Amino acid sequence: MHNTKTTVGIIANPLSGRDVRRLVTKASVFQNAEKSNMVLRMLGVLGKLGVDEVFMLPDVSGVASRVIHAMRHGRAAEISAFPRVTFLEMPIRDSADDSLRAAELMVSMGVSVIIVMGGDGTHRVVANASGDTPLLTLSTGTNNVFPEIREATITGLAAGLVASGKVRLKDVASRNKVLRCEVNGSRKDMALVDLGVSTECWIGARALWEASCLTELFVSFAEPDAIGLSSIPALIHPVSRTDAYGLRLVVAPPGEGFMTVEAPIAPGVLLPVSVAEISEVRPKEVFKVETARGTLALDGEREIEFSENDSVKVWLEMDGPVTVDVNKVMLAAAKHHVLVRHHRN
Amino acid sequence: MAELKKEDLLKAYRTMREIRDFEERVHKEFATGKIPGFVHLYAGEEAVATGVCSHLTDDDRITSTHRGHGHCIAKGVDIIGMMAEIFGKKTGSCCGKGGSMHIADLEKGMLGANGIVGAGGPLGCGAALAAKFKGKGGVAVVFFGDGASNQGTILESMNLANIWNLPVIFLAENNGYAESTGVKYNVPTPNIADRAAGFNMPGVTVDGNDFFAVYEAAGEAIKRAREGGGPTLLECKTNRFYGHFEGDAMTYKAPGEVKRQREECDCLKIFAAKATAAGLVTAAELEAIDKEVAALIDEAVEKALAAPNPTEADLLTDVYVSY
Repeated sequence: MHNTKTTVGIIANPLSGRDVRRLVTKASVFQNAEKSNMVLRMLGVLGKLGVDEVFMLPDVSGVASRVIHAMRHGRAAEISAFPRVTFLEMPIRDSADDSLRAAELMVSMGVSVIIVMGGDGTHRVVANASGDTPLLTLSTGTNNVFPEIREATITGLAAGLVASGKVRLKDVASRNKVLRCEVNGSRKDMALVDLGVSTECWIGARALWEASCLTELFVSFAEPDAIGLSSIPALIHPVSRTDAYGLRLVVAPPGEGFMTVEAPIAPGVLLPVSVAEISEVRPKEVFKVETARGTLALDGEREIEFSENDSVKVWLEMDGPVTVDVNKVMLAAAKHHVLVRHHRN
Repeated sequence: MAELKKEDLLKAYRTMREIRDFEERVHKEFATGKIPGFVHLYAGEEAVATGVCSHLTDDDRITSTHRGHGHCIAKGVDIIGMMAEIFGKKTGSCCGKGGSMHIADLEKGMLGANGIVGAGGPLGCGAALAAKFKGKGGVAVVFFGDGASNQGTILESMNLANIWNLPVIFLAENNGYAESTGVKYNVPTPNIADRAAGFNMPGVTVDGNDFFAVYEAAGEAIKRAREGGGPTLLECKTNRFYGHFEGDAMTYKAPGEVKRQREECDCLKIFAAKATAAGLVTAAELEAIDKEVAALIDEAVEKALAAPNPTEADLLTDVYVSY
């Protein structure tokens, strides 16, 4: 039995799913009301599995406000099953820093797991601070590769089973690969799935939706059923999340190179991409970006601008965030009858 | 999207600088008591009007707000005439009878600043309907603020625009305050763009302090509208450096808030840093523009001060249209 409290963090980014992909592709607008409902569905099962306290971002107009409203005005029988919900004491700047700061606070408080709700970008931000704290990933949108698309109840169930010790973490968690980058020797950021090099000079509206601007692409894994830039190499040379290597692909001008891939680089978008080179990338093998001037897109979003005067390097590492495999959790729960009560005949 | 060339960057910088210097000067002149009526300054929000209007021609229409000077300048309205208008002079854009809140220039497609919060929505839909009938690819842009986002006129306009598939862009300038009320108090969603889903149109939020973000997103929205794709709600999150109106002590803002915004979120500083770092323009070229714009604003004020007031005989001219 645990003597200390069992705590879980939930980071639900109220700003995710609002970028320009809603305009240039058929990406969905994921309503914050549904994010709140997802949190409420998770709270119900977390409480029943013995989680004592849940920490959340204190956004005042987004996900949290509706959770507060529901807890004040919801059905008493339902609410009484919830764990205690505590909103972190931190300033809200309505930027990615909010998710980063929340993750730092949750890690310092020793939460058992953090449930992350958002897109690849939100997960990347949280992964920058999560360290050894396991993440349960939940996609809110149509545009994501790293997080799972799954009913929140089951993610909440898995989080509760792991946090309460009913399923052993070491059997269901694994560390992910990451792509790291530096500019002029200074560590800048990382990508969980893909790091694209674009000739576009500006971060601008962030998303990278013009394949013609893409010159190089690094991926930590490449699943053929994924959407986004990683689909380009994935349709040539799939790489799993557990393989000890990634890929580097050099884009050729249209019609040149040695092959052309029709790749779903965004929702509703299937574009031909000509390939000049594709090769495996080993951990810590450092690549100097050959494009003279442009931007680095981390998991599909332009984040770093660089010019001719900058030296940009990219490499793969195996020390990324720890994530919990919800399938494995539920299989373990089934195998050991964790959620089963036997009746006496 | 077409790559921004050097001349495009210099033009965008000039427009933003014109708006900034115009507003800083109006701020000073208003304190002298020589400007009649109210003024609402756009300083801090320059990247929004400039990023959007860079994609528009004189045949495209915009509707504006009470904070309309920036929209006017970005749409190409003559600065000399604008300054005279704000001073209420006969040489003004509207012969001195509109003032700050009613500057218009139909030849430039600027349908007017507007003292009624949210009034631009129906006007913009009308302009967009006309553009649709003409069939020449014209569009309308409705600039409105976070306060106006709660007005029935704006919401009804979004509904109409979508059922008629009008070539209109609803451009939410979210500067964080509806007069003195924080947006987090009076808008129940984290983003105004979230409301697009209820009208089945794309809703996009970008950093309104980054010209390049606004330029790209607005370019895609305008292109989509020109091609018959229908309306878009584009939200630009930005800051205003002055009060809601001149004389507003801004007691509702946190101590140091504006100072921090001027230091960290100034769209002109951000633009200059990015454009020079990319090696596409030089600091000297931007400084030369600064000097030219400063001289232009001086000239505008001098001419406005020297210009005659409207006379009694002008009272009833231009007031009603005879059909």
